[in-house]
Amino acid sequence: MTQQTPIPAEEFIDAPTGWVRILDREALEIARPLIPVVLNGQRLVLFRDEEGELGLIGRNCPHRGADLCYGRLENNGLRCPFHGWHFDRTGQCVEQPAEPKGSPMYKAIKVPMTPVEERDDGIWAFLKDGDTT
Amino acid sequence: MISQQLNDTITRIGPKTEAGAVLRCYWHPAALVEELESQLPIPVNLLGERLALVLDDAGDLRLVTRISAIGEPAVFYPDSTEIKIEVTGPTYPVMVKKGIAFAYLGNGEAPEFPNFDCFRADDTHVFAFKGLWECNWLQALEIGIDPAHASFLHRFLKDDDQGSNYGKQFRDKVAQTSMPMTQVLREYPRPDINVEETDYGLKITALRHMDNGQTHVRITNQIFPEAICIPMSREMTITQWHVPIDDENCYWFTLFTSFKEPVNKELMRAQRLKEHKLPTYAPLKNRENSYGYNPQEQADETYTGMGMDINVHDQWAVEGMGRIQNRTREHLGRSDKAIIRYRRILRQAIDAMGAGNRNALPMQNGEKIKTIIGPLSNDAVAPTENWSGASHQADLERRAACPWDASV
Repeated sequence: MTQQTPIPAEEFIDAPTGWVRILDREALEIARPLIPVVLNGQRLVLFRDEEGELGLIGRNCPHRGADLCYGRLENNGLRCPFHGWHFDRTGQCVEQPAEPKGSPMYKAIKVPMTPVEERDDGIWAFLKDGDTT
Repeated sequence: MISQQLNDTITRIGPKTEAGAVLRCYWHPAALVEELESQLPIPVNLLGERLALVLDDAGDLRLVTRISAIGEPAVFYPDSTEIKIEVTGPTYPVMVKKGIAFAYLGNGEAPEFPNFDCFRADDTHVFAFKGLWECNWLQALEIGIDPAHASFLHRFLKDDDQGSNYGKQFRDKVAQTSMPMTQVLREYPRPDINVEETDYGLKITALRHMDNGQTHVRITNQIFPEAICIPMSREMTITQWHVPIDDENCYWFTLFTSFKEPVNKELMRAQRLKEHKLPTYAPLKNRENSYGYNPQEQADETYTGMGMDINVHDQWAVEGMGRIQNRTREHLGRSDKAIIRYRRILRQAIDAMGAGNRNALPMQNGEKIKTIIGPLSNDAVAPTENWSGASHQADLERRAACPWDASV
């Protein structure tokens, strides 16, 4: 199995609390705009939604912990392939297609979000201390 | 969400742990019989213990303690000439059943085997295989008692013709209809799930109410402590153990049981050897090569982009949680009903063992164990207002036509 992985290698960044430039803008100019990043030890996933905005959210699905790096980039967000839970760029769950119709559970589910911004010189994130999870 | 302490209690299975004490009350698959064809001893790492399978002086298979180097990897398969036996270490009985060597690592007398279909069927009708998953056994088990995930994780965006699907899961047509199973799973993703406690564990009924007034009834089972029994096709069932190697690795061992034709073992084995590496039975698609993930395939053909083999999907789902799933951050929903129920039984078993009451555990009641049959495990379609008798009826019909004695 020598197939090249189409998921970019994890980017590791350690820095003091505050805004930090984490990536070149070009890094996300790929067919599937999603990159795993580890900021101060926190495993996150950076993606661009269909509105062109960035999301930087926790890497494990808040349901049972599946790896959102392999999520389906669709419907202007990221969908977990395990049970179809769908998250917008803020990490808010917007749909739980296996739960009973009309269930409001999704409203209370949010993946931890790290503030992220695109600036002229690159992609910036607001880092917290490593132990703040 | 549960506490870290509870997560540790229900996942860790080493010799002095609480869940380890529960698991040690049962027989566990230790090796495939096909592994015994190489020179004995062969290494067996089981429940956090480093062991080896040998022939004792009486000519019986036995598990003995193996001397291991500090830092030896958990998945390690030394050549028989390199295996050193710890002669004063614990030794355990072994019993061969249908292509699997089972071992009993507990105290006192080993329990009887229940009279499940996979043990009752003729040897010609049962095929055994195993595979490595690099994660804790409990998350490996929990995906098997979660009937909703098949509508997503195993979703095929197109339906295959049913011609070349022998020996594969979810590729059959649904009983009494011309609808492929893949279509039912895709179009009805919100099953109603009923969970009943039984003498062997849990009976799990997933109901998919379809638009035509029919209901698809899928019955699967949890067999305490770490196995499942589920339908694979109309002809075959899967009985699958998720056996801990240590806290962070497990093997699935499966008995594929046919209720009709003898199993084409050569084909089943060749299909699976193509996906695994011997002697560790490690899957060729794994974390290191991103499980063969292909985003174009994910867009057009499969939900995961990881090919048509559903074992790979399951492996990705459970390994991606981390070596031991962090359940302090989980949010269980209605689709996780059977998982919640299972954890309750496991905790009750832990408490019972703590109180010295082993007989309170499932299938620990002596002679009665041999009378446990089945479990019923099938897919059926019935009118929605009358679904409950349908799978029982379909099961009886299958048993009546079965070439080995499957009577209940």
